[in-house]
Amino acid sequence: MVAEQRPDLETIDMPINMGPQHPSTHGVFRMVLVVSGEKVVDVTPHIGYMHRGGEKLMETMDFRQGIGYADRTEYLAQFSAELGYVLAVERLMGVEVPERAEYIRVILTELNRLTSHFMFAGAFGIDSGLFGTSMMFAFREREFIQDLFEEISGDRLMYAYFRVGGLAWEVTDNFVQRCHESLKTAERGIRDIDDLLTHNEIFMGRCQNIGAFTAQQAIAYGLSGPMLRASGVPFDLRKDEPYSVYPRLKFDIPVGNYGDVYDRFLVRIEEMRQSVKIVEQALEQLPPEGPIVAEKLPRRLRTPPGEVYAKVESPRGEWGVYLISKGGDKPYRLKMRSPSFCNLTALREMTIGQFLADAVMVLGSMDIVLCDVDR
Amino acid sequence: MMRAVILAAPSVDALDNPALSALLGLIVITLIMTLGVMFATWYERKAVARMQQRLGPMRVGPWGLLQPIADTLKLVSKEGVRPASADRIAWDLSLAAIFVPAFLVLVAIPFTADWFVSPMDLSLLYILAVGGLSFIGFLLAGWGSDNKYALLGGMRAAAQLISYEIPMILSMLAVVMVVGSADVYRIILYQDVVPLIVWQPLAFIIFLTATIAELERQPFDIPTGESEVAGGVFIEYSGIRWSLFQLTGYVNMYAYSLLGAFVFLGGWEWPFGTDIGWGYQLLLTMVKMALFIVFFLWVRTSFPRLRVDQLMSYAWKVLLPFALAQIFLNGLVLVYDLPDVVLLATSGGGALALCWLVYSVVRVKPRQPLRMVGNVPATAPGSVSG
Amino acid sequence: MIGILRSLGMTARVAFRKPVTNSYPNVHRQIANRDRAFPILLWDEEHDEPFCTGCHACERACPVECMTVVMKDNPKHATGESKRRKIIDEFWIDYGRCMRCNICVEVCNFEAIGMNNTWAGHELSRFDRSELVMDLDMLLSQSKAGKVDPGLRA
Ligand code: SF4
Ligand code: SF4
Repeated sequence: MVAEQRPDLETIDMPINMGPQHPSTHGVFRMVLVVSGEKVVDVTPHIGYMHRGGEKLMETMDFRQGIGYADRTEYLAQFSAELGYVLAVERLMGVEVPERAEYIRVILTELNRLTSHFMFAGAFGIDSGLFGTSMMFAFREREFIQDLFEEISGDRLMYAYFRVGGLAWEVTDNFVQRCHESLKTAERGIRDIDDLLTHNEIFMGRCQNIGAFTAQQAIAYGLSGPMLRASGVPFDLRKDEPYSVYPRLKFDIPVGNYGDVYDRFLVRIEEMRQSVKIVEQALEQLPPEGPIVAEKLPRRLRTPPGEVYAKVESPRGEWGVYLISKGGDKPYRLKMRSPSFCNLTALREMTIGQFLADAVMVLGSMDIVLCDVDR
Repeated sequence: MMRAVILAAPSVDALDNPALSALLGLIVITLIMTLGVMFATWYERKAVARMQQRLGPMRVGPWGLLQPIADTLKLVSKEGVRPASADRIAWDLSLAAIFVPAFLVLVAIPFTADWFVSPMDLSLLYILAVGGLSFIGFLLAGWGSDNKYALLGGMRAAAQLISYEIPMILSMLAVVMVVGSADVYRIILYQDVVPLIVWQPLAFIIFLTATIAELERQPFDIPTGESEVAGGVFIEYSGIRWSLFQLTGYVNMYAYSLLGAFVFLGGWEWPFGTDIGWGYQLLLTMVKMALFIVFFLWVRTSFPRLRVDQLMSYAWKVLLPFALAQIFLNGLVLVYDLPDVVLLATSGGGALALCWLVYSVVRVKPRQPLRMVGNVPATAPGSVSG
Repeated sequence: MIGILRSLGMTARVAFRKPVTNSYPNVHRQIANRDRAFPILLWDEEHDEPFCTGCHACERACPVECMTVVMKDNPKHATGESKRRKIIDEFWIDYGRCMRCNICVEVCNFEAIGMNNTWAGHELSRFDRSELVMDLDMLLSQSKAGKVDPGLRA
């Protein structure tokens, strides 16, 4: 039976306001979806609910005070954010960081990558509709690693542990052993999440061929990190423009073939395995003794005039700090290139034409940190 | 047939007025179910917590046992907010439209051999028909709330409930064919030696899936999907109204679990027979019902949610053909009087085919695994980083 | 189907593991020695006065400017009981603003301030923000009562 066409009954596309208070917008992100039935025909992302003027704030702070703010910008990959910031200052000042400090930095940053990706896996599970199980599995291991961070830096979330020229203080005596323990639990966590999600047909059905991006598209949109690699571009700053001691460590970068949500998930899971490898090697090579702060650092850090761009591979992609100094102890201008923000630009392109439920998955697969987007 | 006996109130059975006794039975059943639901919420939270390596509620009472009471008090004392723009009639009617059928279903359920409110010859039909009414309530709530999420949720709920009603009824029909009666009581009596799950595994699987969909529990909780429509039709309801919705959800869970226990697991009949006394029968019923409930919780903690189109195609393209095939095969077996084992063989084969289908459809094209790029940068950095 | 069964198996297996959570207000997790909750002032037992001389170094270094320091002449110095010429008169830290960055501890030359590493430093919920502005007595009370963990880094 064919329904009679009624000219007086029109169907209109319905705009839906998703967020800023919505369970799956990962913070205060708002997207206005225009849906026709269940299909998304248009998306308008609205950001800025978390804007705190972070860059401007950091311009009023000296180089030690800024570290705490770098933490708060990227609150899931704090060590990466701190590392980017101190790298910029160090390059401008020409400070040589002692080897031991470099290794500890790499170890902590990679462990931080684990916690960040765990967070992703957990939150992504929830986006896909799992009732908190993945979140619980992920948090179990994440908490364990955070315990380690707390023992070392004193805080579970805002570490403020890296300093220009090295580290704030020496690590604990049982650092190496605790790292190995964390790695063991992390491996178990990866296995659990793998068992729970990766092979599940429902999960596959939900993720595959959703929000796919080709390599060209990904490059054109300036994506970075796992989003870029899932699209098939083997680009990782740790390999391509190495910093710190990464050239001495052997690891692979996983690259996806399809560029869809499922590939992004797989890439992140595989990256966690690689991070475990990196930390193991770094722990082996870690010099047992040695200074942790560069020598002859002035008490009040001053940079020569100049500008520098330092970038690190954060769990979300290229986290860069562009620093202009006119001399003195404060930056003249500080610009943060946040991967979350750049990756988020692809949201519209990825979401249009998908189902409403997929919009949530696509957003989840971007693994954005709203503080990082808005700064 | 057994006389109608009022549940848990034998002294009142002197009442000759069947309407009055049925009413009393209904009231008693409502009260018992409310208590049962309170326990179920506690149990659900505990069980789910354990599957997630958590402790679950621990604060109120020993092991958090009094938690549901605290929850109820909180919900009842909460302010019930109604949006100013809501359609008042639809808004309030939806409550009744969801709440009443759920309890009416319980009327026809024989808890033990002689514990039920009202005997009927077509009780299975009655249960399915009344149980299928709730989608009206979802539509009303979705429309009446004047909220886009609620509207989406309501539409999804209506589509899902109607779609899954069909495979559910067809799977039941297969059972009815084998037994030769649409009376739950008879169906239970039929299973004195072998429960029907053995003869009709395919129908059982279809029933189980459709039940989860009807109950809107994970992985079929699309109408209320937290991460998409943020609670769906219930988004605007609060306080006592919301708790009634919740209550209804759990009553439905009990009802369908009981139905499954009776129709496929042999109810109170298998394996001990009719004569072991109502105490044991009730216990047996409870245990079998609990099996279903635990399974629902287990599934809930383990699976992501399906997407709306997958949900639909699963109902219409997978479950429906298989259910029809089951009926057809049953017909062949019954008409030609083939031995019962053929039932098992055909149905089991169908069940395996169903599993294979689910397995293979997702992996139409086997995906290539990730490439691992080794130690040398594979691209010239300049070409990418620009 | 295999993956679905694997998921089911996973949760079933986990159900028999020991829960990793604890019932928080009854059971407190052991917190690390270096834990940084909020800054507190330390009490000099020997001279029966705070270590803090009110030198304003921390006040100037604080990135969020949540500290207020007022200095006075130390009456005990006149009597010869103490070597400190100046002593803290008033000290406020707004815990609502403090970002727990540890900088005040690092800049203090007198080891007069430290980051609280006990649970008392974490469980600070209040009904009013203004109650989070801690004055000298509050900042000193924990150290005065000897309830500070010996591992505290000052
Ligand atoms: S910890 Fe940091 S923010 Fe807090 S009072 Fe000390 S310097 Fe200020
Ligand atoms: S705490 Fe230390 S830095 Fe701050 S005023 Fe007192 S002595 Fe000076």
